[in-house]
Order: sequence, then C-alpha cells, then structure tokens
Amino acid sequence: MLTFGTLSFAVPWLLVALASLPVLWWLLRAVPPAPSRVVFPAIRLLFGLPQSEETPHRTPWWLLALRLLLAALVILALAHPVLDPGRLLRGSGPLLLAIDNDWSAGDHWDIRRETALALIDEADRESRAVYIATSTQAETTTRQPLRPLSAAEARDRIRGLTPLPWAGNHAALLEQIEALDLPGSATAVWLGSGMAEPEAAAQESRSRILEAALQRLGALRIIQPAPSEIPLYLSESENAADGLRLQVTRVSRGFEQPVALVASDDAGRLLARETANFPENALTTEATITIPSEVRNRIARVVIEDTSSAGATMLFDESSRRRPVGLVSGDIAQVDQPLLGNAFYINRALEPFADIRTGTIAELLERRLAVLFLSDIGNLTDTEIESLNRWIAAGGVLVRFAGPNLAEGSDELLPVALRRGGRVFGGVMSWERPATMAPFDETSPFAGLIASDEILVQRQVLAQPSPELAGKTWARLNDGTPLVTGEKRGEGWLVLYHTTANAEWSSLALSGTYVDMLRRLIALSQGVSTEATTGPLPPLSNLDGFGRLSDARTTARPLPAGDLAEIIPGPAAPPGFYGTPESRLAFNLGPSLSPVVFESRAPGVELASYGPSEQIDLRVWLLVAAFALLLVDFLISLGLRGHLPGRHAATAAALCVALLGASALLAPSPAQAQSSDLFALEATEQTHLAYVLTGDTKIDETSRAGLSGLGQILSRRTSIEPGAPIGLDIERDELAFFPLIYWPMTDRQNPLSDDARSRINQFLRNGGTIIFDTRDQSLSGIGGVGPGTRTLRGLVEGLDIPALIEVPQDHVLTKAFYLLQDFPGRWVGGQVWVQQADERVNDGVSSVIIGSNDYAAAWAIDVDGRPMFPLVTGSARQRELAFRFGVNLVMYALTGNYKADQVHVDEILERLGQ
Amino acid sequence: MSIIPDTPTTSDSPARAQGEAIAASFPPLLVAADRVASTVAQGVHGRRRVGQGETFWQYRRFEFGDSPQQIDWRRSARSDHLYVRQTEWEAAQSVWLWPDVSASMRYHSNRNLPEKQERAAVLTLALASLLTRGGERIALLDKPEPPATGRAVLDRIAMSVMRDMSREPDNEELPVPPPLPRYSTVVLISDFLVEEEKLLEFLGRLAARGVRGHLLQILDPSEVSLPFRGRTQFRGLESEGDLLVGRAEALRESYRERLEHLQSELRIFARRAQWTYACHHTDARPEPAMLSLFTNMAETLHARS
Repeated sequence: MLTFGTLSFAVPWLLVALASLPVLWWLLRAVPPAPSRVVFPAIRLLFGLPQSEETPHRTPWWLLALRLLLAALVILALAHPVLDPGRLLRGSGPLLLAIDNDWSAGDHWDIRRETALALIDEADRESRAVYIATSTQAETTTRQPLRPLSAAEARDRIRGLTPLPWAGNHAALLEQIEALDLPGSATAVWLGSGMAEPEAAAQESRSRILEAALQRLGALRIIQPAPSEIPLYLSESENAADGLRLQVTRVSRGFEQPVALVASDDAGRLLARETANFPENALTTEATITIPSEVRNRIARVVIEDTSSAGATMLFDESSRRRPVGLVSGDIAQVDQPLLGNAFYINRALEPFADIRTGTIAELLERRLAVLFLSDIGNLTDTEIESLNRWIAAGGVLVRFAGPNLAEGSDELLPVALRRGGRVFGGVMSWERPATMAPFDETSPFAGLIASDEILVQRQVLAQPSPELAGKTWARLNDGTPLVTGEKRGEGWLVLYHTTANAEWSSLALSGTYVDMLRRLIALSQGVSTEATTGPLPPLSNLDGFGRLSDARTTARPLPAGDLAEIIPGPAAPPGFYGTPESRLAFNLGPSLSPVVFESRAPGVELASYGPSEQIDLRVWLLVAAFALLLVDFLISLGLRGHLPGRHAATAAALCVALLGASALLAPSPAQAQSSDLFALEATEQTHLAYVLTGDTKIDETSRAGLSGLGQILSRRTSIEPGAPIGLDIERDELAFFPLIYWPMTDRQNPLSDDARSRINQFLRNGGTIIFDTRDQSLSGIGGVGPGTRTLRGLVEGLDIPALIEVPQDHVLTKAFYLLQDFPGRWVGGQVWVQQADERVNDGVSSVIIGSNDYAAAWAIDVDGRPMFPLVTGSARQRELAFRFGVNLVMYALTGNYKADQVHVDEILERLGQ
Repeated sequence: MSIIPDTPTTSDSPARAQGEAIAASFPPLLVAADRVASTVAQGVHGRRRVGQGETFWQYRRFEFGDSPQQIDWRRSARSDHLYVRQTEWEAAQSVWLWPDVSASMRYHSNRNLPEKQERAAVLTLALASLLTRGGERIALLDKPEPPATGRAVLDRIAMSVMRDMSREPDNEELPVPPPLPRYSTVVLISDFLVEEEKLLEFLGRLAARGVRGHLLQILDPSEVSLPFRGRTQFRGLESEGDLLVGRAEALRESYRERLEHLQSELRIFARRAQWTYACHHTDARPEPAMLSLFTNMAETLHARS
C-alpha cells in the first residue's frame, strides 16, 4: 500500500501505467478520427471528382485532452485510491497504544493489528516513541513496566501479539499506565474491544478509570468496534430433551441481530447449523440444535458462525452428552394407572438429560445404550442374563430397582446377594418409624449430593451380609442397611436400588435427590468415571485467541476438581479440554464472561471505529467520473460524425442513459409474487365466475358484463351468490379457483403455450368446467363452419377434450334448475355439445361445454341493469331462456349430477306404483 | 375506403407488414395528391378550353385572321358585330406517367423532409387526378395496363404506385416502355441520378417515337448543396460503391458543377425534343411544381390540337 498523507493506493504498481499516457497521446494524434458515414444517392456525381486536400482531419486538441483524462482516471481508479482522514495522528509527544487483546479481539484481529501498525507508521514518520500496553498477557508473571519502543521494535511487538482466550484485565493495564512517568504530554490511542468489565454497583468501572488515566496523558483517541460489531459469545448450554440448547449473549442492545450456530464433531465435520435472532432489546437469545441424539452426542464444539474467538466457541465433553437410556418395567399390572408406575417416575426424572427408550431387553440391547433401567424385573432368562453380562462387561450400566416381583424371587444378576426366605424386610410394623437416608460416603458415586432427610423408606429388600457389602454400598439408611448397592463388572456397572422406582416403598422417588442420583448413574456410563471430579485435571488442549483448539498452553495448570463455575479462565486456566484423552472435561470461557458495553462519556475523547468504514474509497467516484467522460466523448464523437442533428438528440441520449440506469435499479421487484397471492385471495374468498380475457376489449367487456348479469340473476333466483366475475389471463393466472370458466372465441385467439395447455388440462381433469362459446351461430350456414368454430378447433389441439355429443334430451343440463329444451343465447338454434355422460368421472359433469349462441351477449347488462345487446328474435322470452340456460349451467357445474336422478323419475314413479 | 391492396402471395411477413403500413397511409397520400390537384385545377380551369369538338363552347368576336367559314351568321345577325362560333376542345390524349421508385428515390436527408419517392408519388397521383378530371386517358409507363380514364383508373394507379413503393427497391433505374403510340405524352418524375449516357439514350429513344415528354427532376436539398463537412464516407443507395473523402466541403464546388452539367444536359435535350424540363426540391411545396408541370402539359396538349 502506497501512502501519501491521507491518500493511499491499494494497488500502487498500476500507477506505472500512467507513464503510457504520452504514448496514448501520440497514438490518438496519429490516427485520424473515424469518418462519418453518409448515405448519399447522388454518389455517382462524386466519383472521380478531384480531391484537392487529402490531409486528414485532425482530432481536436480538446478531445485528445478529454480522452487522456479519461485514461488517467481509469488507471487511477484501478490503483484503488483510498482517502483516510482518520489516519493522521494528532497531538504530540510519544504514542501510547493501549490494546485490548482479550478474547473478543480474535474476531477482527487483523484489522486491529493493521490499525496499530498504521499508527506506528504514523508515529515513525514523526519520530515519536511508542509505548505498547495490552489488556491481557499470556504470562502469569507480573507485568513489566512500560518502556519506550522504537518503531521497528513496536512493529515486531505488534506482529507478535495475539488475542488471548480470556477476558481482559483493565485494572492491571491501569496500573501500568499509572506507573508510567512521562516528561511531557503524550498521545494515547486505545484500540478497545468495545467492552468494559462489569461495573460494580457503587464504584466506577476500572475501564472508565483507565479511560480517564489515558486522557490525562494528553490526547486520547478510542478506536472500538461499532456496537453491532462487538463479538457475541456463547454463554450457556444445556442438553435438553428436545435438543442442545445454547444461549448466545451480546453486550449491546437496541437492534435486531441474526446469529447462526454451527455444531461440529471431534474431526471438525459439520453436524448441524441453527439460526437465531436477537430481538431488538434482548441481550441474550437461545438456539436449540435439534438433531437425533446419536448425532447430538457426537457434538464436540459449537461455534458462532463467521466468528473466530474463544468466547464464540463452546466445547463439549462426554458429560454433557445425552445418553441413550433403556427402560424395562415389570409392573404390567399398573398399565391402567400409568401415573403411579415405576416407569413414569424414571421417565420424568431422566427425560431432561437422557434419551429414554422402552422395549424388551433384547430390543433395547440391539442399539447402542449407555444405561439400562430394569424396574422390578424379578427373573431374567438365561439368554437375557448372558447378553446383559456381555453388555455390562463392554461398559454398560445396568440399574435395577427392587419391587414386589424382585422381592418374590430373583435371578443372580445383582451386585449383592439378597436375603432369601424372610428376605423381604419391610412394613411399618418393623420400624418404629420409617428410615431416613444417611449422608453419602465420600467414596460413593453419589458423593457430594445431599440426602434430604425428608426421604422416608418404608420397605426395601435386604442384602445378605458379606465382607464386601460395605464396599459395594453406595447409599445407606441411617441404620446402616444398604439402599443402593453397586459393583463394577468389566468396563461397566451393575447397580441395585433396594427400593422401588416409584413412591410405593419410599418417598425417595419424590425428592430431588432421586433425580440427582440417577444423573450421577448416567454420568458413570460410557467412560466418564467418578475420577474425573476427584483429582486435579491436567490441561489436555486449549483454545487460542481465535477459538482454535491447539496444544495446552505452557502457562496452563491442572484444573482443581470441584465446581468449574468458580474458576475464572486466565493464563493459568485457559479454556479448553482437561483430563485425559479418554475422559476429558470441557472448560469453557463463555459461562464466566459478563462484560458490559463500554461507551466513552468523557469529553474531548476522539472516538472512531475499526475498519474501512471511515475511509473514503475513491475508486468508485473515479470510475463514475470516467464513465461520465466516456459518455461525453461518445456524444462528441457522434456529433463530429454528424449523427447528432441537434440539441434534442443529446438530451434524448442523456435521458436514455438515466432511464436505463433507473430501470436497472428498479428491475427486480417482488410485486409479482404479492399480486399472485392477492389474486388467489380475491378468487377464493367468494365463488367467482370467470372468463378468459381474449385481448379484444369489446368481447372482454361483453364477457364481464354477461357474467355479472348472470351473477345477478343467480343471486336473485338461486342460492348461488357469485362475486364479481374475474377475467383470466389464460397464460398466466391460476385456474383452479374457478368452477366454471367462460371462454369466448375470437379470431385473435393466440395458440396456447405448452404451459397454459398443461394447466388447462390439469384444470379439466380435476373437475373444472370450461364453456367455449364460438359465438358464430349467425355466421355458420347450414353444415358450414363459422370462424369461432375454426378458432376453437385450432385451440383445442393438445387439450384433453373427451368425445363430445350434442346435449341429449334428458341431459342434466336440461333440468339442473329450470326445465329447458333449447339453449338460446344472443342467437338461437346453435347446438350445445357436452362430454358423453360418464357418472364415474367428475360426478358426471362435463368438463367441456361448447355452444355457439354468444351467451355472454344475451346475459350482458349495463350499469343501469338494461340489456346491452339486442337478441336475434328480439323477444323477452329469448333473453329469459338464455338466463335460464345460464342458471342451469352454473348449477350443473356446481352441483354435478344431483339432478340426474330426475332422469329416472318415471321409472321410480312406476316402481312406486307397483 | 375499400382500397386495400391485394395481399401479396409472398409469405415474407415484414414486406407484407410494410406494404400494409404504406397501404394505411394511402388515403392520406391520395388526399394530399387531391389537394395539390385541386389548387392547380382552380388555377387553370382544367381542360375547358377551345378546341376541336362537337360541343359549343363560346361565341367570340371575329378577329382579323379568322377564317370566314367560322363566322356564325345567325349570332352575327342579332348584333352589329361578327361572331365566331367556337367548340370545346375534346380530343382525349393518352398520358403515360412514370414515378421513379428505385432505391435512390428512397432518400431524405432530414426526417422532416419527405422522401423523394413520396414526393414523386404525390405529384404523380395529383397529375393523374387532374388528368382524369380532364378526361385524359392515363397509364403507368412501366405497367402493362392500357391507358384508361375515370376514377377507377386513378385508384388502380394509386394502388400500383403504393405497391411499388412498398416493394424492395431494385437498382433498375429506367423502365422499359411499351410501344407508345405517336403523339402520346410521357411524364417522367425522377431524380435522374443514373449514368448520363444511359439516361440520354433512353430519353432519345422515347423522343424518336414522336412522343411528347415532360421531365420533372426531384432532388433532396442535400443533393443540391452537398452540406457535409469533414472526413466522410459516402455510400450510394444502389450499390454503386463507397467513397471516402478527406474533406467533404472541398468537393462542394465541383459537385455543384457536375450537377448543373447534368441538369443543363437534360434542359438541352428537352429543348431539342420540344419536351419540357423542370426541377423540384423536396423542401419546396409541391403545388407550384404541379402547377408548372400541368401548365406545360396543357400548353403542349393545346399546341398540338
């Protein structure tokens, strides 16, 4: 990038092309202008005339200059000049750069670094010293005092700087600044992240104090991203029943913001993508990734799309994965009381964090299963025991609940032997009062859970006393009898609850402890052992400032066991995976973050934002200027060649260009889609009669008036109340909304396009009716064929028109509403053709009716309700009959063969008579 | 009007469309021709002049040089003067018209000017209209139909001219005339921008048959003044070829001399053959041209009688 003060060129080497301008000048001068071409009839008289001066016309100097300017503009535009008034450094004294290189810097680190380098360049030009202070540092050691750097050192320092995957420490930065002892004033530039550390209620935030401290040095400019550019972060995740629920948080509100989350597995394969949107005034939004649980369990990380920061990355370890859990319940008797059943309790307890499948043991074991609950299953078959044993050895966790069935007699697949004979110890009589639970042992998988003393156990199965019983006991009652026993077998576990899964024997199932215990059991499965929480976890791999997973940082210490929420990510505890490759623990940055937006309120602080938004890109303007000059040149050349007769042509050309530009801008408009929806709405809110627009305004008006006249008659005399008739463009409009379409034939009828033809066929096949009116009864002589018929013949090629017959005497059309024998329109005598009756197809309604009597003209009435056209006989009776035919026609199209029974009325009466 | 040209049998639809477009302009053209004709008719009173015929025309005072046989004694007896009885001239002549419709006639230098062929058509039809009013028999020189008179022939001629105008122009500049009867009249309306030898030979052949002729040269103003400037490439309309000129304005004088030479050749020919020659520019109104042409015709027709 070549820079002259505030002007810089992105592609400076192209400026070399400016050297070619003199060559262009020479070329343009040497080549004569193109001749104007003239058509001239008297050319014969010109042939052989002596041409005294053959010296070519020179291109005028001002046109040459114009063209050179044009070329220069294009070259300059290609060199991509950028005017950046913000580059200039104000103030005096050394430059102090305070850089936020916390997690949020990862997103646009390049820009932040470029900005810093540009500032250092500027300081270098003015020979100022540079101080660089960062908000985070990679080392755990205390910070060194700031020292002045030369420009080269500063550049190296900036190039070596990377964003770090934890929150910034403005307090430490502040200390460094305050320790600085500068002789005179300095210029401070804070390359901020736009975020401040959360303000405590009473005291001023450290970020604000830092701002004040920086301002005291001299001039302060704060460069920070616009509120909409401040990175988002993933603050929470929950493996819920309906999917992996993730919470995305931002620091500034007041605008809507879409966000997309991408989930991928260990190998980086994309598993799912989910979008969410921040409502205008919300700081958080949630997205739920709903994919099958097997796939969901493979999710190793979720990242906010198009970002690269540690906060926007959330890692997932095995503990958060939803595990498939099988459930087999023995209490068939309780099918009629499902809410009291064992299965119901287990279901409700596990559903939020596991996938529960039910079925037989064999069925369940066919698929991958982490934990299997057997509730009150007394005796397993040998094959079941064998397959269960194999499954446990491979890592399965089998949890059995006691119950009446188990108490009656059980198989051997238990962690402890149960007492036989009087094995069942229970009943209120045996205790003075029901037993409560003792606190869990430290060695128990349930360690850390609180055994509520509200839990009362009334019945239980008792274990045979044995030396190892104590080691197998995971939970016990206050009197020492085991309540939950477990045993590791192979890779898996075998666990027995000595009470029922429901509230019948104990109130354990009613307490929260029940749920927590079941969760612990599920966490046991598939390689996540209790060891994970017992000792310090060594760092396995850590996120870097860009959200990439890489080797553990050298500063990272083992993570102490315990509540991860209390550990604040920092140099000693960078986010990432901890533990061993087999059982790792995800430690995420997001949950610990709680930044707020930082808005400078101090007067005199110059605010700016990152990125090229502030820069003025001159390329576009140069290109526009070049284009305008090109246009001028074009017009001038035209004028020189004599193609521009006057001023009008020039203005016309300019107008054309303007119009072209405007139309190009306006061309794609969504109006059509909207109008088609509106059309569908209008056509379906009411029943409408429809006619086909022929393009002949007079005929279209007649059709419209005819159908609206018929509509009035229908509303007056029948229960059909059609809306205003709708004219259809047969090539474009949807036909399916209309039961009956009137189609007058004109000689201007264009052949149908294939698309229209297929849509008409579709319409006819699915129960639509079209009445073709050839309107040529007056023109066709005896046996002759009128023009409308000819048009129709041409039109129906390619349409699915069935075999047609003249309307028979007893056709439904003759009795659908009125009894009719002939069907006059404006003319009389024309035949009406219908499809051969087939009761099975389309309810016996002919899909095509062809007449020639110009019906619309007979029906047409004007706005005053008077007929618009005289009829051929002139009698009122004919018009009445025409309307009756119309009524019959609409009835026929709408009601089908309902009146066809009338055909058989004679026969029916005859039968009744007998 | 029922004048719709028979649709050509060719399926070439652009040509047909053009034909129809021109046919649509036919009534205006005929009206324009009629308008030109009527102004002229009022000016010269058409054919109503003394000549050989049966119908009584007028009595005139005997003048010196009149033949004594012409004296109408019955009229003269009623007064003190001698009167001569004159009959109306009734000799019908056949007039052959030729409007040039070659490619070079389809030219106007400015959109506001009519094409040369349009002006030629208007003048031809106006002349035809005038002639039919006077009872002359008219025909087109390059068409086989024999001369006839009446409104019908006017329509036929109009239609024929229209059709020629709408047709693709040919480069055949000069017609092959049918065998013309002696003493018939030809009217040639053209720009006469053909090779000079061919033109004079064609005219000479006509004159040799004893045919009277009238030449009306129609020129576009730009063909008179050669207004072009600068480097110019000229192109003919009848595939004569191109001509590239460095400075068009330098040719202006010599071009004008050439044109005047052509015109004087035509004028000399006309004088020798007792024909008439006139030149008309399309930027002028057609009526004066029509008037002078018709007056010339009337004089020669009369002179012959």
